[in-house]
Amino acid sequence: MLDIQDIVTAYGKIEALKGVSLAAAEGRITCLLGPNGAGKTTLMYSIAGVLKPRRGTIKLAGADITGQSPASIVARGLALVPENRLVFPQMSVAENLEAGAYQRRDSAEVAADIERMYARFPRLKERHTQLAGTLSGGEQQMLAVARALMSRPRILLMDEPSLGLAPLIVEEIFRIVGELNKDGVTIFLVEQNVHMALKVAHHFYLMEQGRVTFSGEPGKLAEDEVIQRAYLGTSRKTG
Amino acid sequence: MTAVDLAQNTLDGLMVGASYALLAVGFTLIFGVMRRLNLAYGPTIMAGVYLGTAAFISLGAPTLVVLVVVIIGAALVGLYVERLCFRPFGEGARAASMVASFALWMQLEEAATHLLPQHMNPFPPLLATQPLEIGPLLLRADHLVMLAATLLIAGAVTYLLARTKLGLAIRAVIDQPRAAAIVGIHVERVMMLTFVLASAIGGVAGFLIAATDGQVTHMIGMWATTKGLVAMMLGGLGSVKGAIAGGLLLGILEAHAQWFLGPQVRDMVAWGLLFVLLAFWPGGLMGAKALDRTMAVGRRV
Amino acid sequence: MDGYLITVLSNIGMISFVALSAYILLLSGQISFGQQAYFGIGAYTAGIATVMWQWPLAGALVLGALVASAAAGLVGLATLRLSGIYFAMATLAFAEIMRIAAELLVYRREIGGIETGPDGIDGFRDIRYFFANDVSPLQTCLIVYVLLGMVVAALFMAERTRAGRMLRQVGEDPLLAEVHGIDVMRVRMAAALVAGAVAGLGGGLYAHLMTYVEPKSFDIMLGVHALAYGLIGGLGTALGPLLGVLIDIGLLESTRIFRGYRMIVFGGLVAVLLIVRPRGLLDENAVGRIRHYLRRRGHAGD
Repeated sequence: MLDIQDIVTAYGKIEALKGVSLAAAEGRITCLLGPNGAGKTTLMYSIAGVLKPRRGTIKLAGADITGQSPASIVARGLALVPENRLVFPQMSVAENLEAGAYQRRDSAEVAADIERMYARFPRLKERHTQLAGTLSGGEQQMLAVARALMSRPRILLMDEPSLGLAPLIVEEIFRIVGELNKDGVTIFLVEQNVHMALKVAHHFYLMEQGRVTFSGEPGKLAEDEVIQRAYLGTSRKTG
Repeated sequence: MTAVDLAQNTLDGLMVGASYALLAVGFTLIFGVMRRLNLAYGPTIMAGVYLGTAAFISLGAPTLVVLVVVIIGAALVGLYVERLCFRPFGEGARAASMVASFALWMQLEEAATHLLPQHMNPFPPLLATQPLEIGPLLLRADHLVMLAATLLIAGAVTYLLARTKLGLAIRAVIDQPRAAAIVGIHVERVMMLTFVLASAIGGVAGFLIAATDGQVTHMIGMWATTKGLVAMMLGGLGSVKGAIAGGLLLGILEAHAQWFLGPQVRDMVAWGLLFVLLAFWPGGLMGAKALDRTMAVGRRV
Repeated sequence: MDGYLITVLSNIGMISFVALSAYILLLSGQISFGQQAYFGIGAYTAGIATVMWQWPLAGALVLGALVASAAAGLVGLATLRLSGIYFAMATLAFAEIMRIAAELLVYRREIGGIETGPDGIDGFRDIRYFFANDVSPLQTCLIVYVLLGMVVAALFMAERTRAGRMLRQVGEDPLLAEVHGIDVMRVRMAAALVAGAVAGLGGGLYAHLMTYVEPKSFDIMLGVHALAYGLIGGLGTALGPLLGVLIDIGLLESTRIFRGYRMIVFGGLVAVLLIVRPRGLLDENAVGRIRHYLRRRGHAGD
């Protein structure tokens, strides 16, 4: 579904991604783990078109989307749940969902989808007139996921959905990730919560300092080894 | 000082304030989506008004045609300003963007003096009727039109923002530009449309002001930039309601200050109020609740 | 040198003080629309000192700079915690209040049988210190440039000190500077005081060179021009604002190449220039490269 070859993305002279290659298979949950500053969020923004890679290619379902605008990438069926959720704080929950369906023209179907989101996330229904900025962190995360789903994506990118949330809510989020995947959505997930990520992932990658350093299925590497490298990186372990 | 004076001043101020309110609405829209000051906003309006004046003087265009020329002229000049001063600049170059808009201000002023070399030029009046008498109060009919136009445009903008898809996109860009891009909104296109819309609204304001004066000088550019800015800041950034309130308040305040203290002190009172508000109550009229949001927006300039 | 050239050079010199004043605040990360206020305060104060109190010029200039600096400090107390558009608008509001205050200021006294002093909207005329003391235009021009040279040299040296580096750090990222233990408010206050003094000094010189100052002399146009000069010339060095003034007044206005179309050409050029170089011609990168080149040449010469 998503095929990334040798991506280089830089901020000025500093290369945050130094040639990253990875793939997310259709119908699967692929997970990217790694310490802070490894370049995970940069990769997510590069895929979604917010940042323009300097080199390399990104293919979505076979079509080259490298360097395209975020809007045309959304149109091709990719949605991002960004780091820190980035809901529209001064807009109501319902308006956030409408904004998620911005590119769609089928307003009757959009309304039906909003009802489906309320069924899946009952808390959002309770608060549908409330401003998104007044929601709790967990509720904002639900909203960010629901907003992304409103574009009816074929693949959903999630950047650290568990960040700063209480354990019970993290469980809830991962339960939803599993459910969405069962409904046929391909998922590419960036996480710091290694334990939860390895529980749901079909395949995972480790990323350190702008490079992919490991690729495999959960169980191929002992969890504490993954944790070690995902939090601290190999360099510090060996050095 | 009598109650009649007070009432008459308030009424006059309200009418002039209507034009300030329109300017502030345009400013707020541009500032909202761009997060940068467009110093060339007033001169953009001046350029539109000058094009309309030229059509009036040399072709004898009727008032309605002049209005259309002014609006289209302001919108096109606004597009030019957006292309040169805002579109090419990223997040990190807000000061450069602002200074570029100042450079175009200078450019537009000089272009205007080439178009109409006279300092003062005639402008078609809106309604040349006698003032209406309401009890002891006098009310100019063209002022009433100005107030009505302001309320109409404010209503239309509010409707656009609250009920239309473009409005949803504009609010999303104002609220969280990165997220707007992520959900698939064409952020640059929305910015451009907002810019052109705000410039057209400014054109209406410029037309009404010039028409009630019956004449126009190139000073209208600087005048519109400063009055619009003060009104916008008084109302607190980022809301149409605040912009209207700020504009009307500025108008009423100035009318009283002029009556009691003279024209120089009038201007000082407006600036003084702005200074005190900013120093001690930066949320503007919309109060402390809006403070966090507006500070977050304003800080990014 | 002919009189016209001297006048142009003097103008460039005087405006440079306001440009430097705006530049100092730009380095601290604040956009001020109001440095012209301190220019005006310096001009009126220094003028009153020589004309009405018959102070010597040096004392009057120092007093003008000090009063301007003090005013900048007071304004700073109320405004420095603001940022972005709020700071810009507050400084503009203060400058406009000062300009209108000057329109209202009437302080007339009889000095040597002639009534003189600030006269409201007509301004403060007959500041004839140079005339009375037989100072030639060339000499006055020299005074301007010696003082300007001293200010620039002081800024150059300051840039190499810890305080100068702190100023740039605060300008680049105030939050990060705070994390590094820099007292952002104190740095900004220091910048405001220095910037006020520099503008005030320029104002004092202006009043004496032109022999008059009027409220119009320090309206919003001067303030925004001052800001623009720094961004055109470059924020990498104190020479940047001077280059900006030189390009605008020296090249375009004085040579009259584009008679009647100067601003149409210049305005467009500035907009395009800023697209290519958002921090001006002599930005930090350019200055770094020039320093590097000079060092290499220095070594090659050894």
